[in-house]
Amino acid sequence: MGKSTASIAAVVGVGHTDWVDDYKRVRNGEKPHDSNGYATLAFNRALQDAGITRDEVDGLIVGPTTAYERMGEILNINPRWGGQADAVQAVLQAVLAIKSGMAEVIALVYGNDQRSAAVQYGGPEAMGGGAFLSYVYHSPWGLTSQGALYALMYQRYKELNGLDDSTLGQVAVAQRQWATLNPNAIMRKPITMEDYLASAYIAEPLHLYDYCLINDGGVALIIMEAERAKKVAENPVYIRGIGRSDLNSKATSLGPRLLDFYLPAQRKAAEQVFNAAGMGPKDIDALMVYDSFSPHILFALEGFGYCDVGGAGEFIARNGIGVGGKLPINTGGGHLSESYMQGWNHQVEAVRQVRGGLGARQVPNCRNVQYTSDVAGKAMSIIYGA
Amino acid sequence: MTEAAKTPRLFSPYDAPMWESINQDCMKLQWCPDSELFRYPPGPACPVSLSMEYEWRPISGRGRIISWTVFHRTYLPAYPAPHLVVAVQLEEGPIMVSNMDHGVLDRMRLDAPVRMIYIDHPDGYRLPSFVFDETH
Repeated sequence: MGKSTASIAAVVGVGHTDWVDDYKRVRNGEKPHDSNGYATLAFNRALQDAGITRDEVDGLIVGPTTAYERMGEILNINPRWGGQADAVQAVLQAVLAIKSGMAEVIALVYGNDQRSAAVQYGGPEAMGGGAFLSYVYHSPWGLTSQGALYALMYQRYKELNGLDDSTLGQVAVAQRQWATLNPNAIMRKPITMEDYLASAYIAEPLHLYDYCLINDGGVALIIMEAERAKKVAENPVYIRGIGRSDLNSKATSLGPRLLDFYLPAQRKAAEQVFNAAGMGPKDIDALMVYDSFSPHILFALEGFGYCDVGGAGEFIARNGIGVGGKLPINTGGGHLSESYMQGWNHQVEAVRQVRGGLGARQVPNCRNVQYTSDVAGKAMSIIYGA
Repeated sequence: MTEAAKTPRLFSPYDAPMWESINQDCMKLQWCPDSELFRYPPGPACPVSLSMEYEWRPISGRGRIISWTVFHRTYLPAYPAPHLVVAVQLEEGPIMVSNMDHGVLDRMRLDAPVRMIYIDHPDGYRLPSFVFDETH
């Protein structure tokens, strides 16, 4: 198993929509595109970035928010392989498809009109429903939002480790610092720890700044077989390894979340991804963490071996995760400050950091970038490298 | 209040008996005679033994606090902010989400013993809630 995902494929093109402008337009009551439109714009830009034509694409993966067949119809792609997946699983599936010979050039396209369509992630109309249970099961007692589950996690974590709100506040402040250097970031006004602590609680102990944005947009990636990418691509960024471990047992009664903080799954995913890439945490120049809520960052640091259990707050304070820090995290601003593209924008930022040339937010000598996520109990990680 | 604004409650072949037992102020959960374990939420099989045989057994109502959160924003009309939600590990093993009176927040701590009470939900049904268990 070990090296099975190593250097099979490379990202050769990235593209995304105009998050900042679209955010303003949607707030003014306009609807620039629907989900298919955002995805199409991102796809066109990714193709252009890759310097290839649509005819070279022989595989298509669409995100969870658009229909596979309709997306293929709009883009006029009749692939020999395709599917639907979230960001990190889409990258994994693309690598597996390329390894098995089912496709060589795969377009990954995501579009989401969640803000203009007023998608509810909390409250009586919250998405998900009875099929997954998750937080919908807890709604008779007044818990309906995904954020509240992370509030329960951080409350317990904070009590167990004798911490306070400012431990967590380090994350939002650092990511906003990165966002001030990123023209694509929606929230670019700097915030201080005082601003953070003075901001309103939503589900205490989480403050407003611990929550992701809700905005419209799209992202696309072009992933190519590695040997072909080496020959034709100007600036390929290789997928050095992928790891995955799922924790489904007792998910609705919250054991993996509240008692284990997903650590057992993250440790297994870490072992896989680092084995595949032949690396360890010390080789990683920047870390991208799926951050629907800021506590994700603390748990990722502990689960992926960057620090001891319970020590993430101290790790951040000592090393720094913001501009000039020893372990830059979510250097575009992440979901908290750049754009909530459900993990897709993190892949773009990882690729761009490895390519280099990002100006003030460029991580110096950036060769390897790790992505981690723990969405719905699936601990996953990708290492991108030059 | 419209139907859509009501607090959703899941009814399935497995959930309905639990809600009926709550209506009678005696919450029951499925108990597996093979593994001798309680499970929550209700479901078709015991996750440990995979046995689909089960009986509905009353739970003790005793538990301890695993975590809590205060909603400062009103998402559901039945629960105006501030609203205290708790995660309680039942004596029988499973963790369930419930709520407590916001007035007890000052005394909240990890592992605090709690016991189940039954209250009338504003949407018109009985609901288990918790209070601190002073007998401990």
